[in-house]
Amino acid sequence: MAKKRVDAGRGRKPGVVKATKKSSASNNAFYLIIAVIAVAGVAALTYVSTRKTNVATASPIDTTLPKVESNGYVMGSPTALVEVTEFGDFECPACGTFSLLTEPELRKRFVDAGQVRWRFVDFPLSMHKNTWNASRAAACADEQGKFWAYHDVLYSRQDQWNGEATNDPDKFMKQYAQQIGLNTSQFDQCVDTKKYQAKIQAHELLGEKRKIGQTPTFLVGTQQIAGAVPYDGFAKTITEELAKAGAKPGVGGDTAKGVPVKPGS
Amino acid sequence: MTRRMWIAVISLAGLFIGIYLTLYHYGMIGTLACGVSSCEKVQTSRWAMFLGVPIATWGAAYYALMLALSMARIQPRLEESAGLTLATFVLASWGMIFSAWLNYLEGFVLHAWCEWCLGSTALVLVLFTLAFLEWRDYRRAGEVELEGADNIAD
Repeated sequence: MAKKRVDAGRGRKPGVVKATKKSSASNNAFYLIIAVIAVAGVAALTYVSTRKTNVATASPIDTTLPKVESNGYVMGSPTALVEVTEFGDFECPACGTFSLLTEPELRKRFVDAGQVRWRFVDFPLSMHKNTWNASRAAACADEQGKFWAYHDVLYSRQDQWNGEATNDPDKFMKQYAQQIGLNTSQFDQCVDTKKYQAKIQAHELLGEKRKIGQTPTFLVGTQQIAGAVPYDGFAKTITEELAKAGAKPGVGGDTAKGVPVKPGS
Repeated sequence: MTRRMWIAVISLAGLFIGIYLTLYHYGMIGTLACGVSSCEKVQTSRWAMFLGVPIATWGAAYYALMLALSMARIQPRLEESAGLTLATFVLASWGMIFSAWLNYLEGFVLHAWCEWCLGSTALVLVLFTLAFLEWRDYRRAGEVELEGADNIAD
């Protein structure tokens, strides 16, 4: 048995050498294929990761789709030249990222300056379990004139109340209401009775009619932006729309003119 | 080209898919969004992370390890390493099981199929088949060599 093993080792060696010689051409082919895939892969990744800075982030709005009109929640001057309508889902991480990273600067530069009126329309996606609770709660906060404060809290605390984190999102909704100084008994009753369920359904329906495919989606004057694009691309689109609207004052594409701004919202 | 060379080639292709999906997950490619399309639904679901790391990154790591193992096994010195052949087979099997679980989630929990994930599953399936054949042949070769050595000895 021991002899067999020694001989087996000896017998194997010539085979290995033979195989190496035979495969030198196939080795070359292999290294060529590996090099081609590596170069193609790196080139493709480089292309797709830099592409977004080269192409327009916005596309023209289909004007045949139903108008947004007076739905949603509005912030900013009724006489602003351009209106931005955001279709958002409170539980969507991309909306959260946009709200925390991009929106504050846009508000400061365009909304506070009176150039842009910002409208938020709920578009709750079916994959997000607690997003309806959040939308209803935000509507309850709006009842007390604090939609935007509540909106900001919801996005900044997504990690606490999202569908994976809790099965009782209303507990957090009520906590946040207290934290931003709402009348809690009124708010709690509003949340418990699902007072604004129909309103959120109307918002959802509007998004479906407008063929919204993802959140956040923004209607910026005559253009549409899909996804949480970084500040620069967004600001560029607003600036373009302001220039267009500036030439013809009062025209902001798909905007609702003269919609009164709710106090405090 | 030998089977292990094909394993290396496929692993490299898979590695790029994994890197692409990881960059997508972190919003470095394309635009960050929650969508009604299948791939976005899968990518932004609660199942897109495993132990705090995106599934796509686990995939990239799997392909990278597979690539490293097969590249090592192409070197003459390690060509006949039983340990590496077994490691490749075990890793490929684990990839199959993990892929099957993810596809189950896509089909029966999320009801959404992401084409990139399906592409990756196809690669994993081919890798498993190749790794299995290699392992089987290695075992068979061992037996044949022992018999052959016996004949030489005679």
